[in-house]
Amino acid sequence: MNNRTPGWLGFLSLVTFSALMAAPLLWLVLTSLKTPEQMASEPYSWWPSPIRWQNYSDAVTAIPFFRYLANTLILCVGNVVGTLISCSLAAYAFARLRWPGRDVLFAVLIATMLLPWQVTMVPRFLVIRELGLYDTLGALIVPKFLGEAFYIFLLRQFFLTVPQSLIDAARLDGCSEVGILMRVMLPLCKPALLTVGLLEFVATWNDYGGPLLYLNDPERFPLAYGLEQFISSHSSELNLLLAAAVLFTLPIALLFAVLQRAFLSGIATTGMKG
Amino acid sequence: MDQTMRRLFIAAIIVVTIGTLQGSLAIAAERTEVVFWHFWGGRDRPIVEQIVKGFNESQDHYEVRPIAMAGSNLDVKFLLSVAGGDPPDLLNHDDPVVGDWAHHGILTPLDKLAPPDEIQRLNKWLFPAARELGAVNGRLFALCNGLDIRALYCNRTLLDEHGLQLPATLEDLDDIAETISPAADSLGRNQMGYLPDPRRLWAWGIVFGGQFSDPAGTITADDPKIISALSWMADFSRRYGSSEVAAFRSGEQALTGAAFPLLANRRYAVVMDGQWRIRDVAEAADAAERNGTQADEIAVVPLPPPPGGVANAGWVNGNFFVVPQGARQKPGAWEFMKYWMGFSGNEVGAAEACAAGGWIPASQEIVDQAPYQKELQEQPLLREFVSLAASPYQRPVPNLPVSSFYYQEVVRAAQQVMYRGADPQKELQAAAERVRQRLREVVDE
Amino acid sequence: MNGNSSKSEMQAAYWMATPWLIGFTVLTVYPFLASLYWSFCRYDMLSAPKWVGLANYRRISTELFSGGTLAQAIFNTTYFAILSVSLSVVLGVLLAVMLSWEVRGRAVFRTICYLPSVVPIVAACVLWIVLLDPQQGMINEILLKLGIPAQGWFKSTSSAFWPPAWPEDHAGRIVGSKDGLVLMGVWGVGNLLVIYLAAIADIPPQLYEAAELDGAGRWRQFWHVTLPMLTPVIFFNVVVGLIHSVQAFTQIYIVSDGQGDPAGATLTLSLHLFLAAFKELDLGYASAVAWMLFVIILLITIWLFRTSHRWVHHQGGA
Repeated sequence: MNNRTPGWLGFLSLVTFSALMAAPLLWLVLTSLKTPEQMASEPYSWWPSPIRWQNYSDAVTAIPFFRYLANTLILCVGNVVGTLISCSLAAYAFARLRWPGRDVLFAVLIATMLLPWQVTMVPRFLVIRELGLYDTLGALIVPKFLGEAFYIFLLRQFFLTVPQSLIDAARLDGCSEVGILMRVMLPLCKPALLTVGLLEFVATWNDYGGPLLYLNDPERFPLAYGLEQFISSHSSELNLLLAAAVLFTLPIALLFAVLQRAFLSGIATTGMKG
Repeated sequence: MDQTMRRLFIAAIIVVTIGTLQGSLAIAAERTEVVFWHFWGGRDRPIVEQIVKGFNESQDHYEVRPIAMAGSNLDVKFLLSVAGGDPPDLLNHDDPVVGDWAHHGILTPLDKLAPPDEIQRLNKWLFPAARELGAVNGRLFALCNGLDIRALYCNRTLLDEHGLQLPATLEDLDDIAETISPAADSLGRNQMGYLPDPRRLWAWGIVFGGQFSDPAGTITADDPKIISALSWMADFSRRYGSSEVAAFRSGEQALTGAAFPLLANRRYAVVMDGQWRIRDVAEAADAAERNGTQADEIAVVPLPPPPGGVANAGWVNGNFFVVPQGARQKPGAWEFMKYWMGFSGNEVGAAEACAAGGWIPASQEIVDQAPYQKELQEQPLLREFVSLAASPYQRPVPNLPVSSFYYQEVVRAAQQVMYRGADPQKELQAAAERVRQRLREVVDE
Repeated sequence: MNGNSSKSEMQAAYWMATPWLIGFTVLTVYPFLASLYWSFCRYDMLSAPKWVGLANYRRISTELFSGGTLAQAIFNTTYFAILSVSLSVVLGVLLAVMLSWEVRGRAVFRTICYLPSVVPIVAACVLWIVLLDPQQGMINEILLKLGIPAQGWFKSTSSAFWPPAWPEDHAGRIVGSKDGLVLMGVWGVGNLLVIYLAAIADIPPQLYEAAELDGAGRWRQFWHVTLPMLTPVIFFNVVVGLIHSVQAFTQIYIVSDGQGDPAGATLTLSLHLFLAAFKELDLGYASAVAWMLFVIILLITIWLFRTSHRWVHHQGGA
């Protein structure tokens, strides 16, 4: 008898809790395949019969799904690229270079993570307007090329683990600092880059507040925001709405399945930032 | 970084650049584009698209581009676009915000769009309620293109079964409520004779003879007559229990799709609602016919006044056009507004659109057009609403610099009273004081 | 290190930190100072800000004490934050302990419990709006089958814990929109699980062995070994969880129709100041509220750190 193996009561509660966590998702997928009549019918049944795949084709035609998807992908790619470039540059400077003001600025960088977004929301909006970026995808992408405190912090922690001897050797070979970053640090820190890229990808995929603030032409809406439009304008066609929600979730779920390790290490690192 | 990664990287940058630029490479049209935001969805959207198409075909200067936005927060998106410096040329909206927006200098007054004589003509042309909806201190900042009028829908069949008449006075309405929904045993209640909606204190206050502001623009939400209207509404909560009322009411939001509470399993005998519900009534009748059953007979009556109250009174709002100050195509916007309204041209077309949508025109001239008269012949319920349109006692939320705050505060006070058991007089006085305070702050500048 | 390299090193460093420095200046420092300044102004974004001294802060204090919208928003925020954080800590620890057991199919259980947290927030909102529909929602159907009255969820102003249900409320409808939001958040507890699981794996097995020698059963091992050893991680999650839930916006905005529906029951500080800024164009007031929020977060964080020694177990200490 030890703490690593449960009794039958413990096992039962594990199964119960897992079932409770899984039920909404299972329900989502099953219900997205029902006909409207089935959804309203009594008594309630979990299984769709007949299975109505058409919900999915209807859902993608009821809203400009692919237009939204394209916008989402542009944003995701742009943001991931921007974040990786700007954050690894800054992280390298903080981790491996000596310059006056570094430690003070690093403390400030950590402190900015405590600042609620509400404080900077309005002035940021006006800055974006002054840059002429309002109602362009650039409004969401450009700031990502200017670095983000949390990712810089995360990458810096990884960069610190690279042995100094490798850097010194590269310097002796006449390598510039950017060269060292590109040829020494980044190849050694691929898992960290993957984690940051992934976190940013998912954050962008899910971002709702950004488009709400900065985009006003439906031509440029990403899925997360476009889907919300769907809630209000199609509230009676619940099966389509649920099908759209499944389509919206699926890529992230698949990404998670494929890159599980990077995801989990990312979150575990998040947990250690305190 | 290896070769493949570098290539991927470059490809990604290209994709992003193209995607970002695409927005700015607007197609250079020969005609001037007028960007028009609206909230119309569902059954109304095809009609709106038809109007736009008609306008675009009717002349060769402008090309109106309609953009349907989600209704619930259209005003936030609009203000963001104004603040962002890229507003639409024209907006159609229906919340009481004209006063606020005019105060902030967001709106182009209509007299900047058209010569004085045309504005004068327009002022006379509009129904009083439509004029009041768009005017701030007597100057038009918004153009109402359709009125939303509320009256009581009554399930006549159900009333007959209980030996009740259509309500002509407030006492009749109380009778209906008490007969059909007795106070005892409210557990799991699924039927009410009548249950006032706290938001509609705006209507009952006026029916009771109250005024929400005086001609000088003073806030008078604590008018004794408004307080007595709210006390009457609160009686319902006292009888059934605040939470019970709140729960019964909140169930409504969840009725699916087109369901109109009145039609849902005789949930109510009497409901206050707007003219757009006529279509639901008609659809329910059609559905019943298809199923070979008999639909309940529905009648519409004006809000019944208490002794000393006002007949044909109520709260009115409507859809209105506004042209933001930052709009690029003001003349095009003005032309399109007139076309939609049927003011100086396109009268028949406007009447046809109103008839198709079951909308109430903003002017008697459109009501008098043949297509609309034909619709009134066929829709006796609509006739009741249209006859109220010309009444001077149909009052909107006063257009003040703090209208939307005022609207919300009154609704909040009524909700506190009905759902939380608060005292009507205290709540309304506090609300009025808060609004006055805000008004002082805002006007102080 | 040799001294010559430091100049080129410095140049390279500044060059490399430049993107972030620009972003930091333009998107953080300037906004930070600007909103502080505007909180003393009347400002609508369209005309120049006008200095009004403490007027916005005075308005905050009167609204706090006269029971205005702001007081409601603070109550809602507090309710949501406390309930979300405490439930997610309890459930997170319990689930993590269960998931650390060596049982058959452990990987499957872990995946199942983690999966909800990767569901995008908009999709999760859609899912729960439909599930919690008072009339046709699945959850109410189940409750009714169990003999529990149907609850109002997102459509109801009531709340399960505070204020207490009204005496005349005999219908048993006590669960409301805030509780629905909490439930939705707790469902996505998965990403905390990963952190707890890592912490549990780090607990030295000797501690359990010693406890077992002392005759401690499973429960006592949990109370005296697992839980104390987890307190640093719990502490971290409480801090981060509070900061996050006080700032929560998207799910609340979507579920409440962008206006705190029903009847302001889901109007949180975050939503309140968003609407003050972009619906009423009262940016001065919105900035003042944002600063109040910032100070509240700061105070809570400081307080949590100050009191942490009373319950957080430090390995080096004992």
